[in-house]
Amino acid sequence: MGDTSPRTSVSTDGDTDHNNLMYLCSLMKGIWVLVLLILATVQRVKWIKRLAQNREAARKSRLRKKAYVQQLENSRLKLTQLEQELQRARQQGVFISSSGDQAHSTAGDGAMAFDVEYRRWQEDKNRQMKELSAALDSHASDAELRIIVDGAIAHYEELYRIKSNAAKNDVFHLLSGMWKTPAERCFLWLGGFRSSELLKLIANQLEPLTEQQSLDINNLQQSSQQAEDALSQGMDNLQQSLADTLSSGTLGSSSSGNVASYMGQMAMAMGKLGTLEGFIRQADNLRLQTYQQMVRLLTTRQSARALLAVHNYSLRLRALSSLWLARPRE
Amino acid sequence: MYLYLYQNLPFPNWYYIHLLNTHLKKMQGTISCMRNYNMNTVGESLRPLTLKTQENGESVRTLVEENAVIVIGRRGCCMCLVVKRLLLGLGVNPTVLEIDEEREEEVLSELEKIGVHGGRETVKLPAVYVGGRLFGGLDRVMATLISGELVPILKEVGALWL
Repeated sequence: MGDTSPRTSVSTDGDTDHNNLMYLCSLMKGIWVLVLLILATVQRVKWIKRLAQNREAARKSRLRKKAYVQQLENSRLKLTQLEQELQRARQQGVFISSSGDQAHSTAGDGAMAFDVEYRRWQEDKNRQMKELSAALDSHASDAELRIIVDGAIAHYEELYRIKSNAAKNDVFHLLSGMWKTPAERCFLWLGGFRSSELLKLIANQLEPLTEQQSLDINNLQQSSQQAEDALSQGMDNLQQSLADTLSSGTLGSSSSGNVASYMGQMAMAMGKLGTLEGFIRQADNLRLQTYQQMVRLLTTRQSARALLAVHNYSLRLRALSSLWLARPRE
Repeated sequence: MYLYLYQNLPFPNWYYIHLLNTHLKKMQGTISCMRNYNMNTVGESLRPLTLKTQENGESVRTLVEENAVIVIGRRGCCMCLVVKRLLLGLGVNPTVLEIDEEREEEVLSELEKIGVHGGRETVKLPAVYVGGRLFGGLDRVMATLISGELVPILKEVGALWL
């Protein structure tokens, strides 16, 4: 039997098992660590991928935002350019022969803008008059009535300011009265109502008046009549003068000569048309002055009643217009 | 929309538009009619109106001082007519001075010197001078007419006797 048997670490069975177990344990530990490492790397890889995706998405969205802002800037530039063009077109009116409707649309803009403003003014007026009527019915104090009456006069002032601005843009729209209802247009005079007619209306409604008041209102009516006549005559003269300007020289089929004189005529006619704005302003001034003087001549209560009478009359005119427009036709 | 012009014109439209523009630029500031127009008043009143044509600056001052009421306006101006008619309707016989376009600058500067206490006031035509002093334009005439202040003022300077 080999005495010098190589020393092998031959353990006993128990030892072997124990050793095997230890080995297995460490193996398992190793495997476990390995698994953990693998998982960790996988996770890290995922994380890195996510970061990259985020970066990518952020870059894309930055690019998109840049593109959007660029587009906005372009449209803003275009908008300011269009606005400038429009402004220029409005100032020059008919002298733009490029686009067919441009001249018409710029005039239409002014007219429509005024119509809108007028409608808003009308709504305010209705509200004011309701307030006035309520105050009268509830026997409010003179001081309260005074406030409302003064407000109503200031409101008329506002209207004439609006009209004066609109006249700069499109005086013919104002003169046409197309911004008023049909029945109101019956009574159209220089872009509005006649003060003298209004006073006749009020005088009837305002019994009792003192003798002095009666006299004063009468005088006021006469003065406004005189002013209206003077303005009407001025308008007639303008008409005649315009006709004469356009018909001077030969009206027959003309030769191409004398273009300069033709243009001179046109320039003169343009000048005459320009005075229309002044006429409307004077007519509105007359209306305002008449209102202010009327309120001065009457007591607060009487002024309130007068304003309401005028308002109710115009409401009737407007109702008449609605009925007329809705009438059955063959 | 193209301006309707003579047919068969030798030049393009923009040329005529240019001509028109130059005419209008010349007329800048004067919204009223040009001097060559001869105004025919519709329905002449029975009272004679003294119309004096402009001679020189000095006479403007004398005119203003000598006349109780004087209306100064551009020749052929329609607003001037309105003022005239208004005053006529009241029974006033105003002197009327019509100014040619060329003398307008001169006359205006002369008028501005006739300010109260030597101060200069801007004058716009048509202008009404009452009792040698600037009364105002159509605005003021209308406002004072309505408020009832005009008639006493006119009586005061002797333009009205009723």
